Amino acid sequence: MDTAQASTQDARAWLDGALGARLAPEAADWLRAAREEVAAGADGPRLAALLSLASRRVPRGPLAPSADERAAAGAALAGWDPERWTVLEAARAALVLARPDLDIEAGAAAVEEAFRYADVGELCALYRALALLPDPARFAWRAGEGARSNMRAVFEAACCDTPFPFRWFDDVAWRQAVVKCLFVEGPLWRVFGLDRRLSPELARMALDLADERRAAGRRVFHELWLCLGDHAGDRGRAAVEAELAGDFPLGRRAAALALGRMGAADRARELAATETDPAVRDALLAAADGRCDQAAFADLDPTPST
Amino acid sequence: MRFFDPHIHLTSRTTDDLQAMAAAGVRAIVEPAFWVGQPRTNVGSFVDYFSSLVGWERFRAAQFGIQHHCAIGLNSKEANNEGLAREVLELLPRFAFKEGVVAIGEIGYDEITPAEERAYEHQLAFAKEHDMVVMVHSPHRDKKRGIVRSLEVAANLGFPMRKLVIDHNNEETVRSVLDAGAWAAFTIYPHTKMGSERMVEIVKRHGSDRVIVDSSADWGVSDPLSVPRTAALMLERGIPEADVVKTTWQNALDAYAQSGQIDVEALLREPEVDQTQLYADNSVLRGQEPRVDVPTPN
Repeated sequence: MDTAQASTQDARAWLDGALGARLAPEAADWLRAAREEVAAGADGPRLAALLSLASRRVPRGPLAPSADERAAAGAALAGWDPERWTVLEAARAALVLARPDLDIEAGAAAVEEAFRYADVGELCALYRALALLPDPARFAWRAGEGARSNMRAVFEAACCDTPFPFRWFDDVAWRQAVVKCLFVEGPLWRVFGLDRRLSPELARMALDLADERRAAGRRVFHELWLCLGDHAGDRGRAAVEAELAGDFPLGRRAAALALGRMGAADRARELAATETDPAVRDALLAAADGRCDQAAFADLDPTPST
Repeated sequence: MRFFDPHIHLTSRTTDDLQAMAAAGVRAIVEPAFWVGQPRTNVGSFVDYFSSLVGWERFRAAQFGIQHHCAIGLNSKEANNEGLAREVLELLPRFAFKEGVVAIGEIGYDEITPAEERAYEHQLAFAKEHDMVVMVHSPHRDKKRGIVRSLEVAANLGFPMRKLVIDHNNEETVRSVLDAGAWAAFTIYPHTKMGSERMVEIVKRHGSDRVIVDSSADWGVSDPLSVPRTAALMLERGIPEADVVKTTWQNALDAYAQSGQIDVEALLREPEVDQTQLYADNSVLRGQEPRVDVPTPN
C-alpha cells in the first residue's frame, strides 16, 4: 500500500510536469480550476461532466513525451510508458487523480461511476490511469472489462504500456488478455511483463489458436509466436518450422525470433545461411544471438508509432 | 455528391444500410435520441441507450466512413412518464458534453401536454445555459399548433433562433419556422410526412436558406437513402445545384457545426475506413476481410 501510494504521488507530479509544459494558458487555467473542484469533493455527475468537458478545453494531440519523461514515468511506476498517451488523456488522468479519497471506498466508487458513463475517449483515459491509482488491485475486474473490449484503442489503454495486467491480473485473466491481444491485433510486445509470465498453458492456447487459424485457411497472427517462449515443446517447434516454411513475411520473421526464444539458436543460424528474404535473415541472426525478447518484436509492429 | 443526413436512427439500421448510405455519398449523420418504439420502464435503459449513441453507434458508422454525431435528450412521448422523466433529465449533464454530441434533441411535443412542456422547457434552458443547438421534433397530430408552440416557448425563454432546428415540417408549417429565424428540416418518408416530389416544390417556393432535408430513418418503414434520392430528384427537376448542396449538405453542417463538435476538416477529406478497429466484443465484420482505406503503415 505504501509503495502504491508513493507511486500515485509520483504519477501526479509527472502529469503536472508533462501538462504544464504543453498546455496553453487558457487550457491550463481550466484544468487547474477543474482539478481544484475535484479536490474539493465534486460529486459523481460533476466529475463525469468535467471528464467530458475536458475534450472541449484541452487539445487532443499526442502527448509525445521525451525520452527523459518516459524514463521518469517508468521510474515512478515500473511498466508505465506514456509514449502513446494523448494530452487529453493526461488531463483526464490528472482530473481523476485529483480526488483526495482515492484510497478509500468512496473514491473507488467514483472511479467506477466514471467508467459507467464514459464514452470511448474517456474509457481510454480511465483505463490508462488505473495503474496510477492507490491499491490498483481493487480495479482488477474493471481492467478485465477493458481487456475484453474488441475495440483496439480501449484494449491497448487497458493492457499495453501499463503494469496492470502483469501485476494485478490472475492467471486466467492474464492468459485471456494475452490471447485477446492477438484477436484485436494489438501490440502484444507492448504488454508489460509478457516474457516474465509465459507458461505451458499459454503456449498450449496459442498453439490451439494457430491450428484453428490454419484449419480455416487464415494466416496466423504474427505475434502469436511471442506466446511460446521456452514452453514451445515439440508441438511448438513444429508449428514454428511450418510458419518459417510458409509465405507470410511478417509471420516468418516472428517465427524466426521464436526459434531463439525456445533455445533453438543453432537452428536459427543454420536457416540464416540459406534465407533469401533479408528481413527474415536478420530475424534469424537476431534469434541466434539471443536478441529476441519481446522488445525485439517492435520492428515487426505494423501499427504506426505515434 | 456528398450528403449530410442530420436525422437518422442508425441504431435501428443494418450494416446493409450503412454500406448503401456510404455508397450513395452519405458522409455524415446526426442520430438524435428518441424513443425505441415502445416506452422504456427504467432510467438504466436510457443510460445504456445514450452510451450507445456516444459509443458503439459512433464507432459502427465510422467503420463505413460515415462520421457519426448525436443529439442527447428526453423525447416528448416519454416525457409523459413524469417520474422516469425526472431521472432522465438528471442524466443530461452526464452525456451532453461528450465528444460528437452536437445538440440537445430530439425534444418537443407529441400530445402537447403540460408534462411535455415542462421537459421541453427544462431542456431548452439547459441548452441555452451551455450554448447548445436544439433539435425539435414536431408532433404528428396537431402539427401546426405544435410547431407554433415550440417556437413561442423557445422565444419566451430567449433561446437563439439560429440554434433552433424544427424538424418534420410540411407545406403548412415551413413559413412560420423560416419567418421566426429557425432552421426548417423536412423528413422524407415513403408514406407519411414528406415525399421527395413535395420537397422539390417546397424548395422551389421557399428557396434553400435554412432548409434541411433528412431521412429520420428508424425502425419503421423509412428510407436511409432519402437524402441522396431527394437530391437526385431536385437536380432532375431543375433546381440549381447550389440549392441542392445547401439543403442536403451545407445547411445541416452549418447548423450543427455551431456545436464545435463536427470535425469539418476530416469531413472534407476523403473518408477513411478502418474496419480493423473493433469495438466492445463485437465486430461488424463477422469474418470478412476488412476493407482498409488508410495508408499502409511502414
